[in-house]
Amino acid sequence: MNTNSNVYTVIYSTLIVVLVAALLAFVAMTLKPRQDANIKAETISQMLCAAQFYTKDECSAMGNDKVLEAYASNIRRAFLIDEKGDSLRALNTDVKNIELQDGLKAQNAAIRKGKSAQLPVYIFGKDGREITVIPCYGAGLWGPVWGYLAFADDAKTFVGAYFDHESETPGLGAKIKDDPDFRAQFVGKQADWASSPVFAIVKGGAAKASEIDAITGATMTSKGLGTAVNTWLEAYKPYFQKK
Amino acid sequence: MNANLKETILNPIFKGNPITVLVLGICSSLAVTVEMKGALVMALSVIIVTGVSSLILSLLRNTIPNRVRIIVQLVVVAMMVILVDQVLKAFAYSIDKQLSVYIGLIITNCIVMGRIEAFALGNKPIPSLLDGLANGVGYGLILIVVAFFRELFGSGTLFGVQVIPNALYEAGYVNNGLVILPPMALILIGVIIWIQRGIQKDLQEK
Repeated sequence: MNTNSNVYTVIYSTLIVVLVAALLAFVAMTLKPRQDANIKAETISQMLCAAQFYTKDECSAMGNDKVLEAYASNIRRAFLIDEKGDSLRALNTDVKNIELQDGLKAQNAAIRKGKSAQLPVYIFGKDGREITVIPCYGAGLWGPVWGYLAFADDAKTFVGAYFDHESETPGLGAKIKDDPDFRAQFVGKQADWASSPVFAIVKGGAAKASEIDAITGATMTSKGLGTAVNTWLEAYKPYFQKK
Repeated sequence: MNANLKETILNPIFKGNPITVLVLGICSSLAVTVEMKGALVMALSVIIVTGVSSLILSLLRNTIPNRVRIIVQLVVVAMMVILVDQVLKAFAYSIDKQLSVYIGLIITNCIVMGRIEAFALGNKPIPSLLDGLANGVGYGLILIVVAFFRELFGSGTLFGVQVIPNALYEAGYVNNGLVILPPMALILIGVIIWIQRGIQKDLQEK
């Protein structure tokens, strides 16, 4: 057979592509539930890290099921609020059916455009006190950055934070996730609800209680993260001021 | 085992190593060698991708239209890379996150396409499979050697387990931060190439 004729070439290419596409679609569908479970456990472990229940390594070592259990046993309530700070509806916290607000990207767009948003609030109980965990999301240098901020029950003092990113530079911007010292700066700092910005990541020497130091060599990532944190804190301001 | 087959397997591991002799796949070997665990997973992924795609394309070699052969190769390699990525996402999520973009970039790893063009399209399936696997192993070996030094001197750990005793840190020993960064990986690979050229005199230019 002449394998160089046009008809053969077109049919051959089409066939290969269709076969490969079918196989990949099948595999993707088969593995989807497992991948979703991984992503959910990852999101929850980031919250648990922010609230200082566990370190990231401890969460990784626990495995998905244990992470879900840890969430269910420590959470008091979780709910969505709108941009005015009013509660919309509760999120399910039962271990079998944990409900999270996943669409941070869509909510970020809504906040920035001043449209109605559905913002999640997760309230954990620890040593008889309440820890409020809220997310943040924004643009880093190469891709999205996001994370979770945990507040003590005075509604302004940070007890911790955890950040993640899609593709920041390893060793520089990636430090928002990899460098525990960067995250540790949040502990004990305060959101200054009366002023604007509410919180800032500044260059060289954070002077105020509502400031932390940026990462050397990662100006754009630090700026992006600062904007993300600030934008989301502004969005939650009505909620926290009502408390 | 006949001599030819033995040569196919052994050549890529040392004498014709894809990284140190052919100087392919340098980019990913700089990026994923900070820790042994990541390097090992990356090595396994590349071994599977090169091996299986060489096998598939060798089976197809007589049917592939010559004018679109690169495209057909790309489709098959891309399929393998996506499969590996999907499986890692499902079964080793934290490692997949750590390797992130580099798993997807296996497709741009010249070793894969290079071996398919140079070997699989002109040879029978079994030797092609072995050639692919052996090149993956040759790549993986260098990765693991580099990762060993980088993790040991950069973080004081191996596979995440601390091996440098605390007493040494208390005595003033400090992990070398430069080893963590990609430039040191390039220097390490340079040293390996230097050593290999010292042993294999025929690689030296006149």
